Amino acid sequence: MQPRCNEKTIVFADETFGEKGDELILLAMKESAKKFGNAKYANTYISGILFGFLRIDKSFLIQSITEHFKEDEVNKEVAELGYEEGHKLENKSFEKLPNTDNELVQKLHLMDGTTACGFGFLAGGCNMITSYPMSPSTGVLNFMASMSKEFDIALEQSEDEIASLHMVLGGWYGGARAMTTTSGGGFALMGEALSLSGMSETPAVIYLAQRPGPATGLPTRSEQGDLNMGIYSGHGPFPRAVLAPGSLQECIDYAYLAFELADRFAIPVVVLSDQYLADSVSMIEDVDFASYEQRRYSVKTEEGYQRYAETKNGISPRGIPAFGDGVICSVGDEHDERGQITEDYKMREQMVAKRARKKSELIKEAIVPEVIGEGDIAIIGWGSTKGSIAEVLDNLKNPRLAQVHFTWVYPLSKEQLQVLKKFSYLIVVENNAEGAFADQLKLHDLKIHKQILQSNGFNFFVDQLGPMIEESLKEIL
Amino acid sequence: MSQLFDKEDVDVAWCKGCGNFGILKLLKEVLEELEVKKNSTVIVSGIGQAAKTPYYIDANMFGVLHGRALPVATGVKLSNENLCVIAEGGDGDMYGEGGNHLIHTIRRNPDIVHIVHNNMVYGLTKGQASPTSQKGFETKVQVEGVKNEPFNPLAVALSLKAGFVSRVNIGDAEHAKEVLKEAFRHHGYALVDILQPCVTFNKTNTYHWFKENTYTLDKSYDAGDFEGAVKKSFETLPMPIGVLYKSRKNTPTFEQEIRGEDAKALHSVTHDIAKIQELFEGY
Repeated sequence: MQPRCNEKTIVFADETFGEKGDELILLAMKESAKKFGNAKYANTYISGILFGFLRIDKSFLIQSITEHFKEDEVNKEVAELGYEEGHKLENKSFEKLPNTDNELVQKLHLMDGTTACGFGFLAGGCNMITSYPMSPSTGVLNFMASMSKEFDIALEQSEDEIASLHMVLGGWYGGARAMTTTSGGGFALMGEALSLSGMSETPAVIYLAQRPGPATGLPTRSEQGDLNMGIYSGHGPFPRAVLAPGSLQECIDYAYLAFELADRFAIPVVVLSDQYLADSVSMIEDVDFASYEQRRYSVKTEEGYQRYAETKNGISPRGIPAFGDGVICSVGDEHDERGQITEDYKMREQMVAKRARKKSELIKEAIVPEVIGEGDIAIIGWGSTKGSIAEVLDNLKNPRLAQVHFTWVYPLSKEQLQVLKKFSYLIVVENNAEGAFADQLKLHDLKIHKQILQSNGFNFFVDQLGPMIEESLKEIL
Repeated sequence: MSQLFDKEDVDVAWCKGCGNFGILKLLKEVLEELEVKKNSTVIVSGIGQAAKTPYYIDANMFGVLHGRALPVATGVKLSNENLCVIAEGGDGDMYGEGGNHLIHTIRRNPDIVHIVHNNMVYGLTKGQASPTSQKGFETKVQVEGVKNEPFNPLAVALSLKAGFVSRVNIGDAEHAKEVLKEAFRHHGYALVDILQPCVTFNKTNTYHWFKENTYTLDKSYDAGDFEGAVKKSFETLPMPIGVLYKSRKNTPTFEQEIRGEDAKALHSVTHDIAKIQELFEGY
């Protein structure tokens, strides 16, 4: 933390921490807490100090403490004492907090990316989830488990990630709207099932919350390191979509969209999150869930139904066992229109072409990146970097800079990338060491002038990303 | 002979004389005799010669990957408890590649019939040892003969408290049919290990060998006695044939435990949007 401290930084620490300085405020935190019988009250005491120091209405603190510690009223007294102490401190360098807009507060909801994704999956009609726990994805599994008391959701903790995604495929085959949750290591085990989803044209939704790899990596830290795995894992080519939300609203929208796309195109859809997005708490305005249309794409079948019937756009109407008179033959081997194994070379090419047409159809749905600002230099990001980049550009106030934020990261379309043509310079910011997204842009013949990369296990901090962008500008301009 | 479940215009990939033909015929007859409907029967199979069986039956099927029939079948059953779900494959598929799923599927106890064609060899990959190959069995890979202890599916299933554990010999089709029917009637996970010869890649464990090395459990055998069944499951050469164990308890199935009694098929389950709205606004 030390390198990030500057003249505006104030550090509160226990008096045993070190010598008092201008930015270091030493307080008898543990001792004060102990007066109440237990050092565990230190957290409550510090909360009181902060509220007092920042002159925030005390009633919010007391209400929150009372609600949180229903069975231990001592906390309330400790908070009061902390508040008094904090109030006594002189606030020299810290600017006054803005006044609260009470009307706006009424419309705001406080949650993390995990919860927002969970609400999106619910809006998408998720009624089955089978997962193996893995940080930082487990939160969504926990959320859906808590929601299974409110809604009809079938949930099972599987023996491994191989089973997770195969159960999901069985679920969709039988008519469920199923999903799984995992992180990179677990997703690695899902490669074959992803491929089966592609070949058998069985929908699947996979929530992939990234953490730094390879192998066990940094289990509790953050990175955007698994984009390539999301795009390329699984043997053989088959259409898929990879979506990377970057705000709470996008978490809801794209988690919903994942089910929509999976069902409509009968493909696997990966929702990429990461530890930073999953665990960061922020605010979201009111959401109207009635606006998320509840569409279903499966069909009632008749006798003679063919699962892989030829169609113009490659999407064969998907039947479900016992809904209609047809029989549903879904297959991981190459197959004919009925779903019968074949090695006929013409049929093979026909089916390869059919799956490719689905990709062409899918690409039409690609969502154009959001552009914020009028400048001619694009600061391009995807997924969880959205907030950091926005704040940095806001601080830099450089009229030449504009933010370009991608949430639909694969497959990219020409139309989608058209927005990048108007920029003189493209700078790509990614929280990984190799610039996987910039590589995707390069595949579309875009010249990337500069890449800003990081792989230290943290998200991009605003105070660090700002100078990184300024440094890049010096190099290219 | 039954024709209801016959599939037209298919190329059967098995060798002449393969034990799989007997099992195919058996399964089609049992489905017809039990009056199971085609459109509500789902056969999930993995990879292997045995796993090709559902391609030759006119019913719903999901041909998945090697070893993965059980988790897929579990997902299917969870999505709609009214489906008659069968997981089918060979010894390599179910006991080797899918071994972990075998353990946990038995623990879950979904109401599925688990049919394992056990020919003690890998047929599709042309003759390597399988988990159930007998010690000393020579192949192009196990050139000095198999050194590993054969996998004992019945003992493993019993150790996990499977409610229905059986073994049959396709050489005795009439007896096999009775046992398979009983497996379908069982409410919960039911294992049917079917001994069958591979006429091309296993010249040791032939129709004759299976006849000589098995004996049928007679009427005096009590299939409700768990400890007796465990003891029986460890008998080798001759191997006991029949229902080794059938639980007297009516244990709730996986799908009942997860979704409750008479759950709606997930196909028709949608969420109350107003409730989502209300819960969201609680944040």
